[in-house]
Amino acid sequence: MTALLEVRDLAVRYGGEVAALRGLSFTLERGEALAVVGESGSGKSTLALGLAGLVQPPEASGSVRLASEELLGAPPERLRRLRWSTVALALQGAPFNPVTTVGAQIAEPLRVRAGAGRAEAAARSRELAGAVLLDPDLLDRYPHELSGGERRRASLAMALALDPLLVVLDEPTAGLDPETRGELVARIAALARQRGFALVAISHDLPDVAALAPRTLVLYAGEAMEAGPTAAVLGHPAHPYTWGLVNAFPVMSTTKDLRPIRGRPPDPRSVPGGCPFTPRCTQAEEVCRDEHADLRPVGARLVACHFGGLRDLLVARDLERSFTRGGAAVRALAGVSLTVRHGEAVGVVGRSGSGKSTLARIISGHLAPDAGSVEVAGQPLGPSWRAAAGRVRRQAQLVMQDPWDALSPRLRVEALLAEPVDLLGEGSAEDRHRAVADALDAVGLPATGPFLGARVHELSGGQLQRIVLARALLARPRLLVADEPTSMLDASEQARLLVVLRDEQVGRGLGLVYVSHDLAAVRKVVDRIVVLEGGRVVEDGPSRRVATAPRSPAARRLVAAAATLEGLEDLEDLEAGTGPTTAGPPATGWAGSPGPSGAP
Amino acid sequence: MRVRADPVVVAGAVLTLALVATAALAPAIAPYDPRALGPPLAPPSGAHLLGTNDIGQDIASQVVWGARSAVTVSLGAALVAVVLGVAVGLGSALVGGAADTVAMRVLDVFLAVPQLPLLVLVAALAGPRQANLVVVIGLLRWPDIARQVRSQARSLRQRGWVSAARGFGGGLGHVARHHLLPALGPVVVTLAVTTVAQTLLVEAGLAFLGLADPTAVSWGLMVNRALRFPGIFFIDAWRWWLLPPGLAISLGVLGFMLLGVGLEPYANPRWRRRSP
Repeated sequence: MTALLEVRDLAVRYGGEVAALRGLSFTLERGEALAVVGESGSGKSTLALGLAGLVQPPEASGSVRLASEELLGAPPERLRRLRWSTVALALQGAPFNPVTTVGAQIAEPLRVRAGAGRAEAAARSRELAGAVLLDPDLLDRYPHELSGGERRRASLAMALALDPLLVVLDEPTAGLDPETRGELVARIAALARQRGFALVAISHDLPDVAALAPRTLVLYAGEAMEAGPTAAVLGHPAHPYTWGLVNAFPVMSTTKDLRPIRGRPPDPRSVPGGCPFTPRCTQAEEVCRDEHADLRPVGARLVACHFGGLRDLLVARDLERSFTRGGAAVRALAGVSLTVRHGEAVGVVGRSGSGKSTLARIISGHLAPDAGSVEVAGQPLGPSWRAAAGRVRRQAQLVMQDPWDALSPRLRVEALLAEPVDLLGEGSAEDRHRAVADALDAVGLPATGPFLGARVHELSGGQLQRIVLARALLARPRLLVADEPTSMLDASEQARLLVVLRDEQVGRGLGLVYVSHDLAAVRKVVDRIVVLEGGRVVEDGPSRRVATAPRSPAARRLVAAAATLEGLEDLEDLEAGTGPTTAGPPATGWAGSPGPSGAP
Repeated sequence: MRVRADPVVVAGAVLTLALVATAALAPAIAPYDPRALGPPLAPPSGAHLLGTNDIGQDIASQVVWGARSAVTVSLGAALVAVVLGVAVGLGSALVGGAADTVAMRVLDVFLAVPQLPLLVLVAALAGPRQANLVVVIGLLRWPDIARQVRSQARSLRQRGWVSAARGFGGGLGHVARHHLLPALGPVVVTLAVTTVAQTLLVEAGLAFLGLADPTAVSWGLMVNRALRFPGIFFIDAWRWWLLPPGLAISLGVLGFMLLGVGLEPYANPRWRRRSP
């Protein structure tokens, strides 16, 4: 038996220049459900129209076969017969006629196409309304008298009226409140099981998709980026785009700030050659710009990426490092492994002396480990003076803890910032000058003469720390390692620097390792948190999990000691109350800030 | 800068400048050809300001021309020592590892060599020419400079901004030129000045021992000649024959020494003087 739906190389081009779909292929078996996700403008709605035969040559090319019948180029008469009975479309928005009641509109296909009588059609409509959880009494109302959610259910009821083989839902839950949304999604899934229709659910709402369809297709700029089992695709994305999409999605447990995918979707009038995601991809290389990436099987799924999906940017294995302190050897790292993907933000937390700073310096090439290896973008990081080794080191930039040490007191601001640019050795003198000005602007510092001519001792700690960050960014790294970058700053300066850091990290698609003992600040910035204790990794998990449900004792202590302003209110109550009480110290023995890390 | 206000530095600079100017302008200043013969052992007079020696050469002209040879040899040797010392010291500190170990052992060997016998040997075997002196004294003086530069560079290397420059992909040359040399500048200058002073003494000493080109004009050679003249202390000639070159050597060394000592606080941050 052939598949119910076979789409081959479907390309749709509006007005000869707007490429909405650019060669999409997939198949759908009877009774199967497929979710199509992607940002606005990725071609999702055009796909819905294409599946119902609503876009036709010359705009559309390729092939859409539904139940062995070609839709592209089929005579209108034939398409009209297929519509509603074989493929039903519930479009985004409410496609209702405003001058007749909703009930009449649901009954219309039943009467016209199935030849049902008035009474029979009305009864069937009420039945359908019940099936989609719509109060049957509402059927007598006009569309504008219904709420958005009710209209959406009504349109679903209409789509199901003739028991089609394929139902295409375009944004079935857009604009609904969460409760209604959840009910509706559950209802659709149940109906699909009961009635055995195949389902194409087009949405940008990932949780809905996860509940609706066991298979997911990720669409970007009219092309499939990733396809496969929903749990795998959304749970462990392989394509950088899917990862960005999942990462951008706000969920209740997210502790960090919203994290958009950098850049914008391409203008469909001029989609770049090669892989269309290249300009926004965090791991793009030369080949991505030049060559198109076809969908290729990677495990149980298909991924359109030259590298087979997300790659590791930093791979540090079994790092060990000891220091001699007053004659005794101190083991700062005792076998630490750390992996950071392209574009991923990882927090490294732990109390003073847990080896955080040592780890930061080793993975940024500023310190050689006693044992173990560090690779950045697949190349080993080493202390050699060779030019090639320098180029590898440049890709991992350390934002040092102490800006007075990180910046030469001998140089002026301009020379400090020009150093990484000149070492890159690209562009004219004018380009370099502009790069410096842009970098200063990005970190919120003026690029004026007096400031450029200032020396380190004339500037504040906050300004210096931002210069350190700007310098690191000017070296055009792929990995940024920030070692307590805000330890010298007050809360307001810290907030400002963290915002800059996060924006630049997202905007440039950098991998970030953020080292700090301040869990409250870290979890605002990172996707994943690694907890160090005594030179070992004792916990490694998504930041939301580590920050809310720590598993290791070390992480629990950090969470318990994290800065909070809530206690202050109690304090106020106390003071307003009956004088001094015997309130003990905080439950944790060492609450409060442990001060700047003393780790080497 | 407070350098100008420091009387030690000012005195050193005046003496040094006077010496260098004399050396540079010798043909214009000297009244006679220092080798030309005239009336022997003439006391100072209008014709011969400082008199003449046993074969009638003008002492004043010899002192003036002697400055030239003193400056050439000592500056040349100091240059050799500083270039070698800074290169080895910096390279050793930056590269580290086996290269550092090897360089330091080589340096130990140089330091262990007894200097005077070696100089005597070289003067005797390779000939007492100025160029040989420059090279040999330079070779004897560089280990000290290398050792000091290395220790300073090693501590500078730990500084964040040097590490950052490496992190930006800066090579050995970049780090040395843009970060270490500017920071080491005062140290190197002080070491160089001290080396010049020492070389001045060594050059005079060798000539005094007779290990110099006998036809050359140098202060050491003048002292050597005067002392070899039988009965020099029995006649008044020692006043105008022996004292001027001796005084010239002392003042030359003193000038460079004062300069070196005066610059020391600027080279070594831990040696800051208490302001009066």
